[in-house]
Amino acid sequence: MINLHGLILADRSANELRELVMCRTAASVPFAGRYRLIDFSLSSLQNAGVRDVGVIMQQDYQSLLDHIGSGKEWDMSRKRGGLRLLPPFGRQSGVGEYVSVIDALLAVRGYISDVKQDYIFLTRGSLAVNLDLADIMAAHLKSGADVTAVCMPGTPEGTHHRFVADENGRVTELLFRRSGQGRGVAAMEAYIMAKTTLLDIIDRCDSALARHFHRDGLGGLMEAGGSINVYMHEGYAVNIDTVDGYYKANMDMLEAKNRHELFPEDRPVHTKGRADVSTYYGEGSSVKNCLVADGCFIEGEVEHCVIFRGVRIEAGAVLKNCIIMQDSVIGAGAQLTNIISDKDVTVGAGVTLAGSPKLPLVVPKGSVL
Amino acid sequence: MNRKCIAMLLAGGQGSRLYALTKNVAKPSVPFGGKYRIIDFPLSNCANSGIDVVGVLTQYRPLQLNSYIGSGQAYDLDSSDGGVFILPPYQSAGEKGSWFSGTANAIYQNIGFIENYDPENVLILSGDHIYKMDYSDMLRQHTENNADCTIAVIQVSMEEASRFGILSTGEDGFINEFEEKPKKPKSDLASMGIYIFNWKKLREYLIADEADPNSSKDFGKNIIPKMLANGERLWPYRFAGYWRDVGTIVSLWDANMDMLSPRLIDLYDPNWPIRSKSPIKPPHYAGPDSKIIHSIVTEGCEIEGRVENSVLSSSVKVGKGANVSYSILMPGAAVEDGAEVKYAIIGENTVIHAGAKVGTEPDGSEDWNVATCGPDVEIGAGAVIKAGAMVYDSVAPGEGGAEK
Repeated sequence: MINLHGLILADRSANELRELVMCRTAASVPFAGRYRLIDFSLSSLQNAGVRDVGVIMQQDYQSLLDHIGSGKEWDMSRKRGGLRLLPPFGRQSGVGEYVSVIDALLAVRGYISDVKQDYIFLTRGSLAVNLDLADIMAAHLKSGADVTAVCMPGTPEGTHHRFVADENGRVTELLFRRSGQGRGVAAMEAYIMAKTTLLDIIDRCDSALARHFHRDGLGGLMEAGGSINVYMHEGYAVNIDTVDGYYKANMDMLEAKNRHELFPEDRPVHTKGRADVSTYYGEGSSVKNCLVADGCFIEGEVEHCVIFRGVRIEAGAVLKNCIIMQDSVIGAGAQLTNIISDKDVTVGAGVTLAGSPKLPLVVPKGSVL
Repeated sequence: MNRKCIAMLLAGGQGSRLYALTKNVAKPSVPFGGKYRIIDFPLSNCANSGIDVVGVLTQYRPLQLNSYIGSGQAYDLDSSDGGVFILPPYQSAGEKGSWFSGTANAIYQNIGFIENYDPENVLILSGDHIYKMDYSDMLRQHTENNADCTIAVIQVSMEEASRFGILSTGEDGFINEFEEKPKKPKSDLASMGIYIFNWKKLREYLIADEADPNSSKDFGKNIIPKMLANGERLWPYRFAGYWRDVGTIVSLWDANMDMLSPRLIDLYDPNWPIRSKSPIKPPHYAGPDSKIIHSIVTEGCEIEGRVENSVLSSSVKVGKGANVSYSILMPGAAVEDGAEVKYAIIGENTVIHAGAKVGTEPDGSEDWNVATCGPDVEIGAGAVIKAGAMVYDSVAPGEGGAEK
């Protein structure tokens, strides 16, 4: 059994996800035709043999609760340990609401100190990445560093933290909230560290009334003589924090290379199952360069789209560059271009909707158009 | 705990008329209709009918079936005081143990299992039919008529009738005659091989039948005729929906093709889901040059070529310029670039290499048939597999014939 415990931050959602997080948190945003973002964190843990996992949640978590359930899809429904959902719990300060990672961790400090494993993988529920955690754990133990920071090549869009490391991967400098290209490598904000190290970080921040995990927590660790090592994950990785980024990441899945990196044969991504049938393609359907989940009924024309489970696209409908989430119905002759349509949307016959490639239009959950 | 009804599913048959498709697996675990295996239909019917104890009797090549059914979680049949139980033949103290020698003997050997649940009735099912049936409605008629045995029946054409067990009913509606595969059928009511028995009664008959050295230990041949002869109350439960036997290559192909017409059997019905254990795969991908017409496609597939009138199970690959029509591709099958598959059944994980050709369109000749490639074989690049062929082993590149 791997000596590792998972801790997934599913507490906050980036405001820039707009309509997509109106009724859910970023961790439960539907992705790539049949997943929720948290599936990637849970499956990375599952595939490394981790069974004890805490999910820190704070608000709008009904959809997340519904999705995760007992955790049995990820083999985390166990007699001892297993999946623990950690909703806000009143601290001495009272309200149980918090704004920073340190606050969130402080709220579950008791849980963390009771963790049976010696090491903790701390990650974000909004990451779409398939990590080989067994390898990262081995690298962490080999390096002897206090913290291993999983990083990715390339430059993510928007602000992110960057770590400058020497040739051995040892971090020499932390760069906070950068955007665009720069020195160092981009942090995924996913870390392995000893339980005691995490508790030290939390306590040091708490006593200094510091609230920033990276600046105060990791920066404080380095000032106190601690060490951080970088682990480069070479496969596909993205943190979903804007509508644009969400749209682009879904479209990335139409490229075989990205798809095979996020869904490798030997590390399957599990999600909540449904008893869907196979997808039916009608006589007049035309589907080009699309990702299509089970349970769909397609009679229209679909190009460069991601279609979730149980979607019905009637004859004569034309969809280009769209993301259509589960159980939506697109009526006959409707024309949709650059649209992100949330769950359970009904688009009437002949309706025309268009967003721009840079600014896809989001149709909120349950809309009837 | 006393139960109104438990189910016993006979899944031990080889399905020898499926030839290469059942060389490694029992018939009930043959893939069907994109998402399913044959056994998903009776198991889902049980779950949807509220039957929460199902004994699955296995004998021939049960390994895949065992792991597929597992705890019955896929059917929501995993419960604390019930569930799905795999029942292989076993040995008792002082006995040599023996294989199940007939359908009735298989149940006889599991009297102990059934007694654990002290059921009022036992539902006997087989694992080789595709249909949706509410067994609770059948049980209701069984109870209302105070029947000792209720047999599900379906109307067939008189021409087909001699292939089935045929029943006749008297004025009171009860069954008064039963003939197994009659040469001159007296009625068009065929037994579907689905029985509900009063357990106490069945128990008596099983014990008596076991002691009879001349019996072939079969429900249709022995138990039912004996019950009729003794004047027991046998009620016909008339079923009118979709029901297909998939015991032969042609009937398996036909029933798969039926899956393309939701009017025949509605698998989208949220009130009667057919459940299956899905492989963990991402959605399927249809490439820029793909063309998919009147077909069903399942998660994990990667389609770059042309697919028409076909049923694709999970993780099937169809390469660029490949052509698949009127065919059934089982999980993990691959049709490489430029290969052609027509009127064929391709087994699990079988690879049709580039430019190979399998099957042909019907040419009107007597010996034309669907071509079948068993699981885990490779059809070499450029090889040709004729219509009606039955391929058990890999075929070398460029080879023109195939063993029958």
